[in-house]
Amino acid sequence: METFDVVVIGAGPGGYPAAIRAAQLGASVAIVEKEQLGGTCLNWGCIPTKTLIAAADMLVRIQHAAAFGITVQGVSADYAAMIGHKDKVVAQLRDGIKQLLAANGIKQFASVASFQDRNTIALGDGTRLGAGKVIIATGSTSAMPGFLPRHERVVESRGFLAINSLPRTLLVLGGGFIGCELACMAASLGARVTIVELLDDILLLLDPDVRREVRGRMEKNLGIRVLAGKPLEQIAAASSGVRGHFGDEVLEADLLLCAVGRKPVTDGLNLENAGLKTNERGFIEADEYCRTRVPTLFAIGDVTGKIQLAHYATAQGIAAAENAVRQKPRRHDTIVPNVLFTSPEVGVVGLSEDDAKTQNRAVKTGKFRFAGLGKGLASGETTGFVKWIADAETDQLLGAAAVGPHATELIAEATTAIRAELTARELGRTIHAHPTFGEAWMEAAHVVHGECVHVPPKRRNF
Amino acid sequence: MAIPIIMPKFGQMTEQSSIVEWRKREGDAVAKGDILFTVETDKSVMDVESFEEGTLLKIVVAPGMNVPVQSIVAFLGQPGEAIPEGMASAPAPAVPTAAPARESGGAGLQAAQHARQRAPAMPVAAPAPVAPAAFKISPRAAALARECVIDSSRITGTGPEGRIIEKDVKACLKAKGYDRLRISPAARALAAREKLDILAIRGTGDSGRIGVADVQRALAEKPRPMGRMRQIIAQRLTQSVLTAPHFFVTVETDLTALVELRARLKAAGAPYTITDFISLAVVRTLQEFPDVNSATDGTTLRWNSHVHLGLAVSLEQGLVVPVVRNADELTLAELNARSKELAEKARNGKLGPDDMTGGTFTISNMGMLDVENFTAIINPGESAILAVSSTLQKPVVRDGQVVVRSILKMTLSADHRLIDGAMAARFINAVKQKLEDIELWKLLTS
Repeated sequence: METFDVVVIGAGPGGYPAAIRAAQLGASVAIVEKEQLGGTCLNWGCIPTKTLIAAADMLVRIQHAAAFGITVQGVSADYAAMIGHKDKVVAQLRDGIKQLLAANGIKQFASVASFQDRNTIALGDGTRLGAGKVIIATGSTSAMPGFLPRHERVVESRGFLAINSLPRTLLVLGGGFIGCELACMAASLGARVTIVELLDDILLLLDPDVRREVRGRMEKNLGIRVLAGKPLEQIAAASSGVRGHFGDEVLEADLLLCAVGRKPVTDGLNLENAGLKTNERGFIEADEYCRTRVPTLFAIGDVTGKIQLAHYATAQGIAAAENAVRQKPRRHDTIVPNVLFTSPEVGVVGLSEDDAKTQNRAVKTGKFRFAGLGKGLASGETTGFVKWIADAETDQLLGAAAVGPHATELIAEATTAIRAELTARELGRTIHAHPTFGEAWMEAAHVVHGECVHVPPKRRNF
Repeated sequence: MAIPIIMPKFGQMTEQSSIVEWRKREGDAVAKGDILFTVETDKSVMDVESFEEGTLLKIVVAPGMNVPVQSIVAFLGQPGEAIPEGMASAPAPAVPTAAPARESGGAGLQAAQHARQRAPAMPVAAPAPVAPAAFKISPRAAALARECVIDSSRITGTGPEGRIIEKDVKACLKAKGYDRLRISPAARALAAREKLDILAIRGTGDSGRIGVADVQRALAEKPRPMGRMRQIIAQRLTQSVLTAPHFFVTVETDLTALVELRARLKAAGAPYTITDFISLAVVRTLQEFPDVNSATDGTTLRWNSHVHLGLAVSLEQGLVVPVVRNADELTLAELNARSKELAEKARNGKLGPDDMTGGTFTISNMGMLDVENFTAIINPGESAILAVSSTLQKPVVRDGQVVVRSILKMTLSADHRLIDGAMAARFINAVKQKLEDIELWKLLTS
């Protein structure tokens, strides 16, 4: 039996960085992956959707080129070609991971894995691996509720990305970020899209002002119908299409996309052989050091049920690898940006205004709209705003939201500022290059103190 | 017309009280039943509710002043309403006894009469005499220390008469490696607001950088005053331990029969608890041992003709001991009703000082807290206390056989100045015998 210092189960955005970090620290490492290197993120999540969304954005820009004096004729979109492009991008990145793992001397096994005991992993072909420490990074999979018919016209996100023709009409069940991103992409490419959300509104993780901005643009610019506050009932699928009832209204579409959440993957791991149990929701609980209740077992990423984001899994993975190999434990970071590739884009990080309200915490806010920026007008991208949430007494930047052009990129500055515990005053004094979208952060920081040059004063004292 | 708020009289014995804390500020709206302020008497701490509604116009008595009961402590009325002349601009008087009485009628007058009878009260919690701080540090030095968020009080001054001058602050910064200190801007802002010394905070961020979490930890670790109730408990218990030489006697009591009887009675609807049986057994035994029901200060003996039984009740914010007066005159049913009533009042914070004074002996019952045995500290003014632990199933030897019985351990703490070992042993065994005498309880509950 071959024995390793560290065995990582799952080669997604949590698992493969964990394996590489452990190898960097001198450990002998094996990684076991039952499907594709890169996991959900690279193969059926972040990367493929962003490739398609980039294509959709390009089409929209070309369609609006006339405003800049550019006339383009005969524009058409070939969805099958876009899917082909997406597959190429994914394959290239996957190959990159394979080479990185090899370059770090990590032994790769393409197999399912299960615990025989806490230090022994059995592979599908009966091979056994000895493991000093095990990092469980098995991720999650789309939940498909039992009330949905099993039919080729009813898909979750992974199934949706495998279809190489765009449906004419699309019904999206679930107004979370996966549902909204794919809805925006399909609508930009010409599909008629309806989103049905059981809760009172879509994107409830966002503050109301941010949510209003996104939903308004999705409805007005992309013609997406948003139906919220009631369930989709009596769902039926046939070869002609899908249908369902929203209250009294009957909704019909070519395809139903189910995006109601993700559930952890622990089937077949035989955790009980290692002395580990999942919690009542099926997740493996791990602390801020990524330690489970069993001293040699670590867990990271979606399977821990904390924040289901690739970059959070990566941060956990690197901390887990360090804690598995080194003696001195280190907590993983907890300031996690969240980005939505909707149209318009959204980036949020840290405390929201809603959070502050529930925590009864006194905060000040400062908001600045992109329409007030030279760069916004020059680029023809004036939708949305950035917003700071700062401690009312110490001026510490606690949270930020950006909605609009490049919001997913812009949130990086806010994340750095919040982690460094900067105050709004310091951020405001930081010179930002002109003309850029990033200036919005500086202006919004001045708004926190009512000292913004580019906003008229609230009350005139003369 | 503005309504005067009066310092209430809590109990017959209370002559003076002081306000610990105002729960409303001047200008706050006050509804009927709102808590206006917290009062401390020599016995306890209580919240005072408003009987009127309106706006708190003026606070006359600042926290920490000892004032006679019935004094005016504040005025309530409509916003902007005038308050009696002489009060509006007067700062909270250092000796506020006579001042309110002059101009206002009614209750104020009572206060005036009161004030004439007694010497003007002195503030109980006047700020400690402060050294002329302004001279000990130069303005430039103070400004620099403030800007650097460090504590200047620990800097050695080299100026005239040991005054701290700018040079001293700079030397301190250099000696302590201030220029190598790494701190996040928000952490610095928080430390400045809370007047912490950032040189005293240990950073746990990357490369030892001080973050907000470190400052918050330092804040949480900063000593702060205990609640008034806790302070009173601390003072009284310390006094007891230091003055009364405690010794302890433990007995094991077989409660099997009593527990069975109690279960039968309960099934039949009787309210009695095991605690009631213990209380009554103690009350009767105290009548047989008057010395245990007495108290001493070391030179004199105070004998009590009645048993006033204290029952320790644990609350979230501390411990209170309501007293069942004349417990020797009560039947088991009356004892049960009175104990229940007092415990209820204690939990609702409704005990007055008269409910908590004058005890001659106390029972502290931790039966519900799953303890084998413990010892209690004697209440000042008494000479013994009985600690009652949990009734536990135990193997014991009866007639040469090991059997399982319900066993209760009780420990008497006694003041050796008054009670000797033999007496304590006889006393606690007399309590034990009563509890084990099932015929007695059948008689008392029939």
